[in-house]
Amino acid sequence: MIMCLGARAELKWEQTSVELHPAANDKQAVGHFKYQNTGKTPVHFKSVHASCGCTTAQSQKEEVPPGDKGEITATFNIGDRTGTQVKTVTVETDEATNQKTVLTLKAEIPQQLEITPNFVFWKQGEKPDTKTINVKVGKDFTVKHLKVTSSTPDFEAKVEEAGKGEFKIDVKPQDTSKVVASMLTIQPEDSQKVFYATARITNAPQVQ
Amino acid sequence: MKSSLVGQAVILAALALLPAAGEAIYFRDKISWRSAIAPSEMVTVEQARGWGDTAIWVDARPDDEFANDHVPGAISLNEDRWNELLPQFLALWAPGKKTVVYCSSLSCNSSREVARRLRKEAQLSDVFVLEGGWEAWLKKKR
Amino acid sequence: MKTAEKLPTINYQLSTNRRFVWRIVDFAVAGIFIYAGALKAIDPVQFASDIDNYKMLPWSVSVALAFYLPWLEIFCALGLVFRFLYRGALSILSASIVVFTLATIAAKVRGLDITCGCFGHASQNWSFPAHLITNLAILAGLLLLSFKATSGNRLQNSI
Repeated sequence: MIMCLGARAELKWEQTSVELHPAANDKQAVGHFKYQNTGKTPVHFKSVHASCGCTTAQSQKEEVPPGDKGEITATFNIGDRTGTQVKTVTVETDEATNQKTVLTLKAEIPQQLEITPNFVFWKQGEKPDTKTINVKVGKDFTVKHLKVTSSTPDFEAKVEEAGKGEFKIDVKPQDTSKVVASMLTIQPEDSQKVFYATARITNAPQVQ
Repeated sequence: MKSSLVGQAVILAALALLPAAGEAIYFRDKISWRSAIAPSEMVTVEQARGWGDTAIWVDARPDDEFANDHVPGAISLNEDRWNELLPQFLALWAPGKKTVVYCSSLSCNSSREVARRLRKEAQLSDVFVLEGGWEAWLKKKR
Repeated sequence: MKTAEKLPTINYQLSTNRRFVWRIVDFAVAGIFIYAGALKAIDPVQFASDIDNYKMLPWSVSVALAFYLPWLEIFCALGLVFRFLYRGALSILSASIVVFTLATIAAKVRGLDITCGCFGHASQNWSFPAHLITNLAILAGLLLLSFKATSGNRLQNSI
């Protein structure tokens, strides 16, 4: 195996994987990937490309002279995403070896409430039985009480505590003869943040 | 009788094929040999089109891509504005409907994530990911 | 002569102790591979995904390996335990550890953040040095056993 014995460009990364813990109300999570050119010739960035449209990545410079340091900043727009999010940024350079580096951004999005299901429905004409929505409080949060209101009087919603950090919301329609929908607003006590669930009477299923 | 090292290795390699084949048959519905999504969750453009009005098309791409062009009749539902867009989708949905979620191509992840959240959070059944995404739709349009 | 009578007994005892120690090594190495193989055999879907994360093979090959490799590991490990196709088992296990280790190093050099997949998703939180050290320790055990097997031990059962 003949290796090029001439001067080589070489980008050394401080770390290629960053774990972030944004706060509950943060809109973005930013990761910094620092590098240094430990080679003898300049390194040029050919492309910096994120795995999704929700992440933008920028290099401070296009050319990195030997010995210089810099960083790639990856900004992940959280939006309404929840749970563990893993996004990657692929960096291509003109190095002789290792032209492609994958930078990984892992973000743990804290979720105050986990609502399952967030959609309850009854078919038109179905018996108007109570259906239950389960609410689990996120492990880094404390919620003592929940307030639930229906946007229309067609549905009734009652909250009950179901154990430590868990609640049950029992939803019951007045009747199922009409196609109606309601937005259930779920708000933890002493919190500005509001969560939603949907309750609906649907058309009877279409038979093919 | 002593067999050679290679002979022994070959016998072991052959023995392992049997339970491996058994497992491949057992898990055939849980794993697709063509792509990293379970076959029961993927659908081709032809299959989805065949569903006619029973299908609800969901565009998981960012707002600007949806605004630029989308499957006729598709509804936008992406993770950037999930809380705002979900009620609109749920208003369209009815039991018996088949939800077809797409994003830009086979390699993009958004459609899988949106489909996963619809199954897990809204507990909907019959939620599918369009194989090949928007790219595949465009190819079939020609 | 008492000393002369004692010598064969002492030799036999030493030989038995040595055999016992080697069997412990057999069982220890086999145990690791049976454990690792079982973890991966239970969830081949996740293992296929772990192999795919190395970005070295097409997806269909990752799936085939995900079904096949765990059983190869288990059968070879059983070969160590029951001294069945022993040398073949040692060589396959040694080769697999070398390949896994090289793939892990290659992925690290390429900057991929992956779980090794060696112990299924159980090893997902291990650091790169921990993976490397574990693999090298297992390889050392296998090489010791291989050396012992090729040095003509008459207790080895080969078919």
